[in-house]
Amino acid sequence: MLQRLRAHITKELLLLLRDRAGLALLFLMPLALVMIMAVVQDAPFRDFSEHRIKVLLLDHDGGPVGNRLRDRLDSSSFIVTDARGLSSEAFRDAVRRGDQQVGIIVPRDASAALESRSMLAIMELIPMAPLDSISQRSPADSTAITLLIDPTVKHAFRQLVQASVSAIINELSAERLLEVMRTNLESATGNSMPRIAMGDPFIAVRQEIAAGELIGVGVAQDSTQHNVPAWTVFAMFFTVVLLGGNLVKERQSGCMVRLLTMPGATAERIASRIMAYLLVCLLQAILMGIVGRWVLPMLGLPPLWIAGPHMLALLLMISGVVALAATSFGVLVGALSRSQQQSAVLGSTCVVILSAIGGIWVPLYIMPAGMQAVGRLSPLHWSMEAYNAVLLRGGGISDLLPLFLPLVLFAAVCIGLAIVSERIASSR
Amino acid sequence: MSNSIIRVEGLVKRYRKGAEPALDGFDLRVDAGEFLGLLGPNGAGKTTLISILTGVMRATAGSVAINGIDLFAEPGWVHRIIGLVPQEPALYESLSAWENLAFFGALQGLDGGAVQSRGGELLERAGLSARAHDQVKEWSGGMKRRLNLMVALLHQPAILFLDEPTVGIDVQSRSAIWDLLQEIHAAGTTIVYTSHHLEEAERLCSRVVIMDHGRFVGEVADPRALTGHERLEEAFLRITGKALRD
Repeated sequence: MLQRLRAHITKELLLLLRDRAGLALLFLMPLALVMIMAVVQDAPFRDFSEHRIKVLLLDHDGGPVGNRLRDRLDSSSFIVTDARGLSSEAFRDAVRRGDQQVGIIVPRDASAALESRSMLAIMELIPMAPLDSISQRSPADSTAITLLIDPTVKHAFRQLVQASVSAIINELSAERLLEVMRTNLESATGNSMPRIAMGDPFIAVRQEIAAGELIGVGVAQDSTQHNVPAWTVFAMFFTVVLLGGNLVKERQSGCMVRLLTMPGATAERIASRIMAYLLVCLLQAILMGIVGRWVLPMLGLPPLWIAGPHMLALLLMISGVVALAATSFGVLVGALSRSQQQSAVLGSTCVVILSAIGGIWVPLYIMPAGMQAVGRLSPLHWSMEAYNAVLLRGGGISDLLPLFLPLVLFAAVCIGLAIVSERIASSR
Repeated sequence: MSNSIIRVEGLVKRYRKGAEPALDGFDLRVDAGEFLGLLGPNGAGKTTLISILTGVMRATAGSVAINGIDLFAEPGWVHRIIGLVPQEPALYESLSAWENLAFFGALQGLDGGAVQSRGGELLERAGLSARAHDQVKEWSGGMKRRLNLMVALLHQPAILFLDEPTVGIDVQSRSAIWDLLQEIHAAGTTIVYTSHHLEEAERLCSRVVIMDHGRFVGEVADPRALTGHERLEEAFLRITGKALRD
């Protein structure tokens, strides 16, 4: 049996080696895809802190509110341009045309409104506060800072701008409240009191990636970490087109008839074909890993993070299981197809759909809830989950076993159906 | 009858879509060393019969014993002693002749040395040695047909089944195949052979069985001895009639 298995594997690999179009499909296409998609998706994957939003600031106030907004925004994720001198129409046009992503209009009485609201708030607590200084000012409840957003700016960026401006105003409000309270207490007690400086938040906020020790710190899903495993999975499943096509070709050429008159069971023929394409899939995975580690950084992308031999071994193990599922699917497509065209269309369509819903093109978590539920049925999603479990979550074998189970079951079902299909065909 | 190397009894094959059975209670006995010709008009059931006898297809009913062994119960054993030459060349076109022989030889349990020596002899005998390292897709139809036969002979089968092996080839290739078949028959191989070429059957076969509508309809004991007023063609038309078949 081993001799027959070896003969089948050698034959399959020889056939593949002589099929230049097939080789390009299996190796060049995924390499090109991973490079193109990783570059294209780099910006959306990057943290907001890396992406600086262009802000046009029209400060009618000229007081603390406008100044604080300018300073704080400029020192964080924003590039602030002063719109002084621009007419309202020109300001609005600059944002509408997309020259600036966000326009911020600080109204003339913003600082005065902040001041009077602070005084009123303190007066409700401390009734002896002097009223004369407040009555001269006009606490306009309707005073508001306007955010003008470029229509193409994503929702997440809008939220970021809104949150940042609100945080700055809250900080300024807190400072003013403390200052008013301090001056009121000074006048009530007759004692001089120091100013309270608002520095860092009283309780710090620290961000960590929830992952094991394997991956170290600072590794989150970026374009490389998503695209390399994603297109590796896609490439492995795309072997379906070639594997299925070769099976149909074997039947059509009459070679299958000859094989049926020779020793060796159907399961043996299927197993040897799966083994041959397992080798191909592993080679694909290794090549994609090399591209992720050393080629993508040359394109300005982050390198694929592999934390040592232990993780590498786990990734190879995942690749083996994914390859088993992919090649088994290829055998089934070949068994069910009646022509090479049918096999090519069936195989490629299935893989493209399963990859789209399975989170290969974009991660599953940003899809609508309904699509996420459908996507979880895709073997390509299970494959991605296995890679993510190691690459992003630092998981080990115990984390992988539950993820391998559906892939192995899928492979078993595909192989079983292929054997049944071949038996039915020969009994006809 | 105890010398029968092939014994077929009550063989029925009904395709699901077919209104009539392709084989309808077919019986056959083939003695060891015979060169049996299976003749019949289009749709007579010849290819179906060969497919069942070689284990490619399953029968709806009936039994087949090869060398006393039930084919349906032990196909693996039977496959070691038979060879099939299908109607169209069943070869991997992207592989060379040597690579095809090495692959099919390994499936039959031959080691590399055996494939080298036996394959070399066969390629030489078929006049294919000079281009044995070329991919088969670069060959002519006649060369492919000859290699198709060589692959089936590689493991020296006791029984060789041929399904119209000389259709659509040039006279020289056909003549070479005839010579080779006579040689291996003389060496003791039992041959079961289907053809539309009655002249070919008359020249090669030691016995001819004529089938029609999936049934045995007649037999010519020694077609090579036919002379005088009735040659094989006349006997064939007498038995099967002159109505056109599609």
